[in-house]
Amino acid sequence: MSKQGRDRSRARRIVEQQKAAERRRRITMWTTVVVVLVLVASGLTGWAVMANQSSKSAGKLTTPSVAVDDGTAFAVGTGPVVVDLYEDFMCPICHEFETQSGATIKQLVSANKVTVRYHPVAILDRASNGTEYSTRAAGAAAAAAEGGKFIEYHDVLYANQPEENSDGLTNAKLIDLGKSVGLTSTAFADAINNKTYDAWAGKCTDTFSARGYTGTPTIVVAGKQVTGPNGTLPTDAIFSAAVTAAAG
Amino acid sequence: MDTGQQHRARMTTAWPWISTVARLGLAAVFLIAGGTKVSDLAASGRAVNAYRLMPYDAAKIVGAAQPFLEIALGLLLLVGLAVRLSAGIGAVLLVIFIAGIISAWARGLQIDCGCFSKGGELGAGQVPTYGWEILRDLGFLLLAGILLVKPRTRASVDGLLMGEQ
Repeated sequence: MSKQGRDRSRARRIVEQQKAAERRRRITMWTTVVVVLVLVASGLTGWAVMANQSSKSAGKLTTPSVAVDDGTAFAVGTGPVVVDLYEDFMCPICHEFETQSGATIKQLVSANKVTVRYHPVAILDRASNGTEYSTRAAGAAAAAAEGGKFIEYHDVLYANQPEENSDGLTNAKLIDLGKSVGLTSTAFADAINNKTYDAWAGKCTDTFSARGYTGTPTIVVAGKQVTGPNGTLPTDAIFSAAVTAAAG
Repeated sequence: MDTGQQHRARMTTAWPWISTVARLGLAAVFLIAGGTKVSDLAASGRAVNAYRLMPYDAAKIVGAAQPFLEIALGLLLLVGLAVRLSAGIGAVLLVIFIAGIISAWARGLQIDCGCFSKGGELGAGQVPTYGWEILRDLGFLLLAGILLVKPRTRASVDGLLMGEQ
């Protein structure tokens, strides 16, 4: 091959290489654009889905007329020290707290020392195989409060607490338990079957989160969260001491 | 005869396969992480809020966007589109997650990281497992690192577009 011919073939090779490099650059640019667009679109989708869900549930919101604290709790007792209890009906540690300190609380209420505000929250919906027991139980408790028997129903729900990661209690069972404490009206049964207060349970849970609480039970005495060492469940003695201290 | 050269040649053929495994592994990580959260966006928002790093309203938005973002990133890695960029974004997300866990740990918060669940809240008496969560995320970060350095993989859209396969 002549020198000229070699030069020409080398030039051709260089041009081809440049073309290939240009093509790769273009592909990289377009794939980058596609990736960025896909990610932005997916983030916006999440936002839109959430906004849609919350406006839907806001439309369905029925706040029980007897609820206090911005319509998110039910008060028991009229004592000077306010005790806020945030509980999920599916939560076993809440059950433990009720077993451990339920009697103390009842005593404090009847001695007119405390006002207990029960905040039903639904953070454990994932633990009932999709039946959303936490939400249904909180909604049923609201219906019980409307029927004037919140604390009776609250207690019977804990006495019959289903295992975590079971289906939870059926609506029929929730209605039956209501009957056992004197909630025999059709209004109570209808509220459970029609999910009247389910959106409200979501609002209570939102309020709980907005206040910076993350777990149940959250026990707040006179505005101060009470826990045992390392964030554990406070013993009955710790809880009682907090109430005594708040009473001054 | 030159064993160094042979070794290099072997690695040149091996890297795309190693990277492919890393790519599919990282894709699975993001798809599973997003998939477990996407069914309950409110819970995902609460999990973000549990870190106490932003106001609740902002946490709700982040918590809603995050699962979708994770799934999208998982799909991009699965098909192998712009692998280096996707892996880079994944690495940034992982660094943010790790920083979040470290900050929760440092502040003594008692939370579940909410990495592969709606998590967030931890029952009283349950002990957080921050150390393990960080180690696990560092493992995922290593996968992303492999792809950042060696983004060429088998059976990828990138390969198809570049005419490599």
